[in-house]
Amino acid sequence: MDTVINDFVQVLRRHQVRVSPAESLDALHALEQTGLGERGVVRDTLRTTLVKNLDDIETFDRLFDLYFSLRPMAEKRTAKLDVHDHDHDQGQPTSMEFGEDADGAAPDSEEHSHEDSENTEFRRHFDEDKMRPSEDIHGEADKMRLSIFSQELILNRKPGALDQALQRITHQLKLRRARGMFSPGDLVSHGDGGQELPLDVSATDFQGLVDHLHDLDVDESLIRQLEEQSEEILRGLPQLIEQMVECQKKLEKKKDDSALMRRSLRKIFDYSPAEQRETEAAIRRIARQIHGAKTRRLKQDRTGHISVPHTLRRNVRYEGIPFKPVLRRHHEKRPRVVMLCDVSMSTRNMSRFWLHMVYQMQSLFSKVRTFVFVADVAEVTQFFEESSMDRAVDQVFSGRVLDADVNSDFGKAAEQFRNEYLPALNHRTTLVILGDGRNNGKPPNAAALEEITQHVRQTVWITPEPKWGWSLGSCDMPLYELLCDRVEVVRSVDQLAGVAEELVRVRS
Amino acid sequence: MFESIEEVRERLAEQEYVCDRRLATVVYLAMKLDKPVLVEGPAGVGKTELAKSLAGAADRSLIRLQCYEGLDEAKALYEWEYGKQLLYTQVLREKIGEVLGPTEGLREAAAKLREQEDVFFSENFLVERPILQAITSETPPVLLLDEIDRADEEFEAFLLEFLSDYQVSIPEIGTVEAEHAPVVILTSNRTRELSEALKRRCLHLQIDYPSPEVELEIVRLKAPGVGDALAKELVETIQEIRALDLRKSPSIGETLDWARSLVVLGAPTLDKDLIEETLSVIVKYDRDAEKVLAHVGGSPDRKDLGQKVPTGENPHEAMYEMHRSTHKHTH
Repeated sequence: MDTVINDFVQVLRRHQVRVSPAESLDALHALEQTGLGERGVVRDTLRTTLVKNLDDIETFDRLFDLYFSLRPMAEKRTAKLDVHDHDHDQGQPTSMEFGEDADGAAPDSEEHSHEDSENTEFRRHFDEDKMRPSEDIHGEADKMRLSIFSQELILNRKPGALDQALQRITHQLKLRRARGMFSPGDLVSHGDGGQELPLDVSATDFQGLVDHLHDLDVDESLIRQLEEQSEEILRGLPQLIEQMVECQKKLEKKKDDSALMRRSLRKIFDYSPAEQRETEAAIRRIARQIHGAKTRRLKQDRTGHISVPHTLRRNVRYEGIPFKPVLRRHHEKRPRVVMLCDVSMSTRNMSRFWLHMVYQMQSLFSKVRTFVFVADVAEVTQFFEESSMDRAVDQVFSGRVLDADVNSDFGKAAEQFRNEYLPALNHRTTLVILGDGRNNGKPPNAAALEEITQHVRQTVWITPEPKWGWSLGSCDMPLYELLCDRVEVVRSVDQLAGVAEELVRVRS
Repeated sequence: MFESIEEVRERLAEQEYVCDRRLATVVYLAMKLDKPVLVEGPAGVGKTELAKSLAGAADRSLIRLQCYEGLDEAKALYEWEYGKQLLYTQVLREKIGEVLGPTEGLREAAAKLREQEDVFFSENFLVERPILQAITSETPPVLLLDEIDRADEEFEAFLLEFLSDYQVSIPEIGTVEAEHAPVVILTSNRTRELSEALKRRCLHLQIDYPSPEVELEIVRLKAPGVGDALAKELVETIQEIRALDLRKSPSIGETLDWARSLVVLGAPTLDKDLIEETLSVIVKYDRDAEKVLAHVGGSPDRKDLGQKVPTGENPHEAMYEMHRSTHKHTH
C-alpha cells in the first residue's frame, strides 16, 4: 500500500499539487483507519489528507480516476483471458494475482517503474530537442526536428509513425501561425507521439516481475501459481502494458507544458495555480513593506483605548491608582493602494500578468482601488471584486470599459486621473503605476503626474522594460522616473519575487 | 467514540444535521487521528452548524471562538489578570514582613522573596481564553475556531503550535499540554487564502451547496410545516437561482428562511408573484434580484423590494416586517 500511495503522491506532485511528506504519512495513517474496502471512502480519505487547496481538487479527482483505474483495467483483461483458457480451474481465477488488494501493489509498481525509466529516456531526448531551437524563428529548427523524427522512425520501425510525425509538424506550424504575433519564440507543440514504446516484453521482464514479488514477501504459493500461469500472463502483458502506457501518458502529459510555461511569461494565458501561489506570496511580501501596511500591534498613543494592563503597570508606583492612563490604538491598519495599470497594445503581453497581480492585490487587501488606462482612465475595482480572475481580466479587454486599441497616452490619462480621481488619494496612499511609459510621441505631461505624486505618500512605477531600453523610441520613462519614489523592472513572477526581496533588504 | 463512518452519519442525523458520506468520513478520521478539520465553503452551507452538531452527537461541550481582525493571543489563548495580581499585592503587603521574618541583610531577604515569587505567576492569575480552556478542560470539548480567514496572518502562526501538538507554551509557567486531544474545527469562508502551514496541519473539507436531494431533506427536517409539493418546488427554484451568476447565491440558511416565510404566508404552491414578493428573503442585492426576476419571468422594474415601506394594505406585506426580524441566519 505504501508504494501505491507514494507513487500516487509523486504523480500529484508532478501535476503541481503540493503534498508534503507529513501529509502523505497522514494519508497512510488515515487509510489504516478507514480500510481499503470502498473506493469512495479511499478517495475521500486521500482527498482530505492530501489536497488542501480548492483549485487542486479537480486535478486530484482526475488523477485519482486515472491512477486507480490502472488496476481494474488490468483485472478485466486477465479475467477475460482467464475465462478463455481456464474454464475449469476450480474457481481459482488468474485474476487473483492482479486483483488481490493487498498484493496488488506488486505488479502495479513493478510495471510503473519499468515504464517510467523508458519513458524518461525518451523524454530526455525530446526535451533537449524542445529546448534548443525554441529561439529560432526560421526553418532551422524544423530541419533539425525532422532529422530527429527520422531517427525515431528508424528506432521504432512502426508504419504509423511517419503519419504521426507529419501530423506533428503540421500541428507545430499551425501553432506557430496562431501565436506568432505575440510570441515568436514558441514553436514547440506539446505533442507526445514520441512516447511510442516498443512493446516486445520478453521472458526476462517477467522474471524480473517475479523476483520483485519475492522481494515484497508475497505468499509463496501465490508466486508459484503465477509462475505456472506465466504463459497466459505473458501473452496478456503487452496489452496490459499498452494500457498502462496510455494511462501513464495521460498522467504525464502536463509535465512538459508547465516547464515551458514557466520559461515564458507570454504563456500567462494559462496561469497555473503554482504561479498564482508564487505571485501571491511575492505580493504579500511587497505589501508588508509598503508604507502604511497593516500592523496588528497596538501602539501607545495620545488617543485610543485605555489599556488596563499597561495602565496598571505604569501606575504601580502610585500604588495602583491610575494617575497616568495608557492609551493604545492600531496604527495604519491596511495599505491603501491605488493601482494604475496600462492595458494598451504595447504592453498587452504584460498587462494580463499585471491584472492577475492586481487581482491578487485586491483579494489580499481591502483598500485597493484599481484603474486601467490607455488614453482614458476607467475604474475597474468592482470587476475584480465581483468576478473571478479570468472573467475580470476578460472584461477589461472586452472594450466595454474603455477603448483598449488606441495608442497609449499616459499624459492624457494622468491629466484625466488628476481631474477626476484625485480625491481617491491621500497622504497614506501608495500609488502603483504599471506601464511602460511609452507615449507614442504625445506630450508626457509630467506636471499632471507630479501633482498626483504630491498627493500620495509613495509612488512605485513598475515597468517591463529594462533601463537601457528607455532611450529607444518615444519613451518618457526618464522623465517620469524623477517623480517616482522607486521604479522597478518586473517582467515575471520571479522578478516580482526579486523586487519583494529587495524591498525587504532595503528596509532591514 | 464513533466506531464507523456510518455511525458518524447516524449520530449527526440525530442532531438534525444531514450530511453526505464524504463529510462523515472526514469527521470520522478527525476523531480517530486527533487531527483538526479545516472546513471551507461559501457562507451559509452549515460549516458552523457542523461543529455544533458534532458536539451534540459526541456529547461534548462546545467552545467557540469567533475570529476577527485584530484578534490576538490575549483574547484567544490566555491573559494575565493584572487587576487581581495588583489586589493580591496590596492585600498581602502586611504579610510580607511575616514571610521574610528576621533576615540578615538585603541579599537574604531577596532570596526569601524569590522563593515566593511564583505565587504571582501561577494559574490562579491566568484568565483562560477559549483555546487554553479547550486544552485544560477535563473532558475534551469540541473547539470551534469560526471564520479563521478573518483573523490576521499572525494569528494563524500562533495557532500552529496548538494545532499540531495540542499544547500552549506560556513563558512564565511552561508548556500546558492537553491530556485528551480536543476536536478542533476551523471554518473559513475563503475571503483570503490561508497559509500552507496551517492547511498542512489540518484535514481539509470542502462543503458546497447541497444537492437537491440533500437540501430537500434539510428543508423537511428543519422547516416541518412545509408541504411536500411546496418543498420540492422551493428547492428546485433555489437550485436554479444558484445556477445563475449572482453576487451572493442563496445559502441553506436562506432556503430555510424562505421555507418558513412561505409557511407563515400559508402559500400552497410557488408562483411568479409569490417569488417576486418574497424574493428579498433569499436575495440580498438589488442587481441579483433583477437577475432572478428576469429568470423566473417577473417584471424587473420592481427591484427595490427590500426597501419597500409596508402600507398595511397588502396582506403579503406583513412579510417584509417579518423577514427583517428573522434575518439572523440559523446556519
